[in-house]
Amino acid sequence: MSYDRALTVFSPDGHLFQVEYAVEAVRKGTCAVGVRGANIVVLGVEKKTTLKLQDPRTVRKIALLDDHVCMAFAGLNADARVLINKARIECQSHRLTVEDPVSIEYITRYIAGVQQKYTQSGGVRPFGISTLIIGFDSDKVPKLYQTDPSGIYSAWKANAIGRSSKTVREFLEKNYKENMSDDDSIKLAIRSLLEIVQTGSKNIEVSVMGPDSILRNLTPEEVEAVVTVIEAENAAEAAARQSSK
Amino acid sequence: MEVLLGITGKDFVLTASDATVARGIVVQKRGEDKSRALNKHNLMLFTGEAGDTTQFAEYIQCNTQLYRMRNGMDLSTKAVASYVRKELATSLRSRNPYTVNLLIGGVDPKTGTPSLYWLDYLSSSVKLNYAAHGYASYFCMSTMDRYWKEGLSLDEAVNLLKKCLEELKVRFIGNLPKFVVKVTDVNGIREIEI
Amino acid sequence: METTATLRFLDAPASIAAFKHAASEDDIEATASACVDMAPREFAHPTFDIPAINNPVEFLKHQTSVDAKNRIKIQHGTTTLAFKFNHGVIVAVDSRATGGSYIASQTVKKVIEINPYLLGTMAGGAADCSYWERELGRRCRIYELNNKERISVAAASKLLANMVYAYKGMGLSMGTMVTGWDKTGPQLYYVDSDGQRLKADLFSVGSGSTYAYGVLDAGYKPDLTPAEAIDLARRSIFYATYRDAYSGGFVSIYHVKEDGWEFISRTDVNDLYYQYAAEPKPSLAA
Repeated sequence: MSYDRALTVFSPDGHLFQVEYAVEAVRKGTCAVGVRGANIVVLGVEKKTTLKLQDPRTVRKIALLDDHVCMAFAGLNADARVLINKARIECQSHRLTVEDPVSIEYITRYIAGVQQKYTQSGGVRPFGISTLIIGFDSDKVPKLYQTDPSGIYSAWKANAIGRSSKTVREFLEKNYKENMSDDDSIKLAIRSLLEIVQTGSKNIEVSVMGPDSILRNLTPEEVEAVVTVIEAENAAEAAARQSSK
Repeated sequence: MEVLLGITGKDFVLTASDATVARGIVVQKRGEDKSRALNKHNLMLFTGEAGDTTQFAEYIQCNTQLYRMRNGMDLSTKAVASYVRKELATSLRSRNPYTVNLLIGGVDPKTGTPSLYWLDYLSSSVKLNYAAHGYASYFCMSTMDRYWKEGLSLDEAVNLLKKCLEELKVRFIGNLPKFVVKVTDVNGIREIEI
Repeated sequence: METTATLRFLDAPASIAAFKHAASEDDIEATASACVDMAPREFAHPTFDIPAINNPVEFLKHQTSVDAKNRIKIQHGTTTLAFKFNHGVIVAVDSRATGGSYIASQTVKKVIEINPYLLGTMAGGAADCSYWERELGRRCRIYELNNKERISVAAASKLLANMVYAYKGMGLSMGTMVTGWDKTGPQLYYVDSDGQRLKADLFSVGSGSTYAYGVLDAGYKPDLTPAEAIDLARRSIFYATYRDAYSGGFVSIYHVKEDGWEFISRTDVNDLYYQYAAEPKPSLAA
């Protein structure tokens, strides 16, 4: 019997193959990282190279869900669009029912809830995406959450999803420091992405949110400037190592 | 007894709503803001059936915000007015229609061109240079007919509004001591004291 | 009113597939009713069955409209009040229940203890108030469990307003004040069965409210001491019971503080009459 045909059927050893295939789709997606600093939270994404005649502005991996919540994803773009739409409706619906904007955990739980539901219902397939959700609640503390296709969600200091996310996460684990300054947080996000993005700044996109809850997208020039600094540091380090030998 | 007023100027819309909430013969609150900002450059004022007014206004507010989240840009005043008119028309033919009367004022964020729409619960929608809802229309429309002209400065518009509110004080039996006055221009929506 | 069951998808897993079509509708209402059942959705439960006909409001007119011969008459006489001041919120109510000219009870509890941090008052239909405020208590608890923090008074009052607004025109009668202390400090809202929801520093509701306002407005200022505020509230209710035939019994007083509400007193208005009669009237000299 093939246990990967019907979604709602377990394999004898307790696996839901369709969900695992969805995780595989995430692994094929471009990488996204999130880093929480002392006062800000950063999202960095690896951007696929746009084709020569394509309009790069129409390919976005970072989406605003409400004024104070932002989401990046890895996996199937088209699936993400559906999930983003649902989340945006929920954000407004929440304002309508309880007056307050959603908390970051709330909207994460909602998104994870939708993802879970698509692993347990007939006639559907799971979302082929993992998400990183950032934002600020009224307590002005930066928040970072992650969800995956099975509907699991959790909070992080820094994390990566998508292609080579294991490498990036290990890099983050090694280099993350508590209470990083704004610049250091942005730099760490970009540095971690550079571990797997060979083409440098032109394939990196960065968005930053501070306690004012306003999302700021870094311009390509700003990203380039940080990349230049990082490359200079790396070169200096390599030179130092060379000379000490 | 509720009063809404709106006046367009050179590059702004000046609006006023009375701040009184009454039920029967009792005033329940002085200082209620009967308006909602739909987006940065559009303001909606409302009167009508208790409950319906805020429910409808907040529903519209959330949907215009949702539009912005989805499309990354705001609806224009004309678009908002058309959308609201359609919602009212649908509601009118439903089980329990919203009984709300509205003024929608806003400016084009680039050019500053003001526009003001007058809508009622029967889903009429008219674009006007100046408008009033409630008993105010009996007292203030003639004043505005007499004094309004193209390209009013903010000071001139405020003076015209003062004339209207003064007339209400003199001739209208209702006691409306406080009005919430707002200006909508390219910089957004702000409340002013007059 | 949509009669959505919260865990509908468990009964009919295929309903989620149907949702995909509903999602093409572009507004919140259409999509939300078919949407995944997270917290605000959960609040759509439970719902009463309404007459299975085209227009339930119209159908109920012969029992709800003002001039209806068979109009449902519910207890209306009451005096309740609540006001914010520098030390929290004072809530005071009478305790009389009437059915027309008949005094049905002199010992009604008109302050509803929604939870240790939230109080509601009762005016209008006693059953409507106690049912919907108890239901509100349930929803507040679910909110608390879901979100790991207490619900704000703004949110709680909005939930109540939304619930009763769904039954607008079907005969509910409720005029309530929801009050409590949350992250933003002491809060006071008025919610009624029209769906009206107001935020202010001072409210009085019920047939005796005009009398209560007369005393309350004259003596109110935000910097009253707790003792003064409690005395003012008690006197306001007392004078309302003195003039309003539909109010009477006992004056119950609660004080909402940062660490929750506290029950202050329950005094027979008859005793208050003699106590106040023995006191000299305050000076009116400027």
